[in-house]
Amino acid sequence: MPEVDVDEYKDIWVFIEEHAGEVAPVSWELLAEAKQLMDEKPDDEELVALVIGSDVDDVAEEAIARGADRVLVADDPIFEPYRADPYGKQFRELVAERKPDIALIGGTTTGRDFAGRVAVPTHAGLTADCTQLGIDDEGHLEAGRPAFGGNVVATIKCEAHRPQMATIRPGVFEPLDRDENREGEIEHVDVAVEEDETVTEVLEREVGDTADITDADRIVAAGGGIEGDLSPVERLAEALDAEVAASRKAVDEGWIQHARQVGQTGKTVRPELYVAVGISGAVQHLEGMNDSDVVVAINNDPNAPIFDHADYGIVGDLFEVCDELVAAFEDADDPQEVLA
Amino acid sequence: MTDNWTVVVGIKQVPDEDDVTIDPDTGTLNRAEAAAILNPPDRNALEAALQLKDEVGAEVIVFTMGPPTATPVLDLAVALGCDDAALISDMAFAGSDTWPTSLTLAYATEYFDADVGIFGEETTDSSTGQVPPGIAAHLDWAQLTYVEDLDPRPEDDQLVATRDVEGGHEVVAADLPVIVAVGYGDNEPRPAGLHRKLYAETEFEPIELDAEELGIDPDEVGLDASPTQVGGMDTADPVEREQKVVDSVEDLAAAIAEEGVV
Repeated sequence: MPEVDVDEYKDIWVFIEEHAGEVAPVSWELLAEAKQLMDEKPDDEELVALVIGSDVDDVAEEAIARGADRVLVADDPIFEPYRADPYGKQFRELVAERKPDIALIGGTTTGRDFAGRVAVPTHAGLTADCTQLGIDDEGHLEAGRPAFGGNVVATIKCEAHRPQMATIRPGVFEPLDRDENREGEIEHVDVAVEEDETVTEVLEREVGDTADITDADRIVAAGGGIEGDLSPVERLAEALDAEVAASRKAVDEGWIQHARQVGQTGKTVRPELYVAVGISGAVQHLEGMNDSDVVVAINNDPNAPIFDHADYGIVGDLFEVCDELVAAFEDADDPQEVLA
Repeated sequence: MTDNWTVVVGIKQVPDEDDVTIDPDTGTLNRAEAAAILNPPDRNALEAALQLKDEVGAEVIVFTMGPPTATPVLDLAVALGCDDAALISDMAFAGSDTWPTSLTLAYATEYFDADVGIFGEETTDSSTGQVPPGIAAHLDWAQLTYVEDLDPRPEDDQLVATRDVEGGHEVVAADLPVIVAVGYGDNEPRPAGLHRKLYAETEFEPIELDAEELGIDPDEVGLDASPTQVGGMDTADPVEREQKVVDSVEDLAAAIAEEGVV
């Protein structure tokens, strides 16, 4: 492996994931967390937002308002929609030229596709699906990730290579509010890719479900117990004005979109109310919902581990319980009336 | 156009995660007693490859990087319909993180002169999903990750994929050669046929390849070539919960209402 002079590498970069002008919320979460990490970095280093896309001036300005000291903008139609090969080449060129110390990327499907590709040619150390970040006494990034289903948190370091890269699970960190008075520099960089070099073409792209479960106050989550029938969960979610989410099992079965998956390889949520419907309670799932205020479990197996991790539980057929619960809340115009 | 696609599939033997336990006193993991199984997402990778074989007559070669005790996963893949299998094994690979792992698998993909390399979305024992894009990067090939469905277009030397993106789907055409990571659960893996199973278990022997045969410099792989190291392990703190099990839906509704969260 090539020897790397780690002292040549400076700054924290945050990849701002953007699709047709819509920014993935995790990007702003990472800017906020990176701003905290900057406290542990030398004063001459900057927090840099990396914006790759087409017509992204608004995104660049928002990145300043959300905490970036500098925004590197690669603006060209070649970057819309996202493709791994042109994004990867652009990133590689920028890393070679600017030598970032740390690069943080959201753990979305796009972020993982991108990170896995760009870490290799830059010989970066890349840690996946992190839920904790820190900087140690020697200035190395400490990337904490749940391992072995979430029973333990492993701290991964990359001492001899740069950049130190990590994908971070959406929903873990709080974004900063926009502050239009915040100052920073927007710098347009040379576009390093040409269309005739690309090896992929996006023929169709359809994104209809833009719900963000990381932001929800109330969540009703479906597990393997729903056996393919999402309707009781959807009805209960509607009655509670909640978002529908899911365990990995329900996502892998194809019953629900991956974007609504809670826990390992999905998202971290912290609602006021989390209702787990037909979810057994595997640790991989629990570590994504442990920060919920109140957890309710509905399951027909009295020995399901979820009951140990719930405030209130009921053992019963989920289809019956959900519908009865819907009726209980719908009968009461004011939910407080169910107390009467 | 490329005649007769060669498709390679990379698979891995992993401990059955249901069997991995944690010693509550020491916090150490007990993986030794866990049964060794085929990484579950690799089932979907094998199925996607075998569908390409059915559709365009591709030759499918499966390989795994691991110790000689990993050969049962190759036998299984051959039983399912793979034409040939290779065990990629060398002490030099020990301790590899995703960087040298993807390098090794990239060399293996080139060794078989593949047009398409198909992998599972991730392995359940490390759960990074970084290896397939890493292989594509090492080879400088196109990559298609989180793939739900493949549509081969040999007349154009292209593979078209429907892939999962946040909140929706996209259809992407990739020029060959290409690396594919199939979404976990996104197809229905076939069962093994009886004759094929007998063949795999009694007659079939996998090819064995080491670092030298693949043309890999031992200094490029293994622990010393891995940019990341595990700095420590902490057990996650359990969250205290009320754990009240109520008897009726009315009681449950009342408890939720009382918390003031609806």
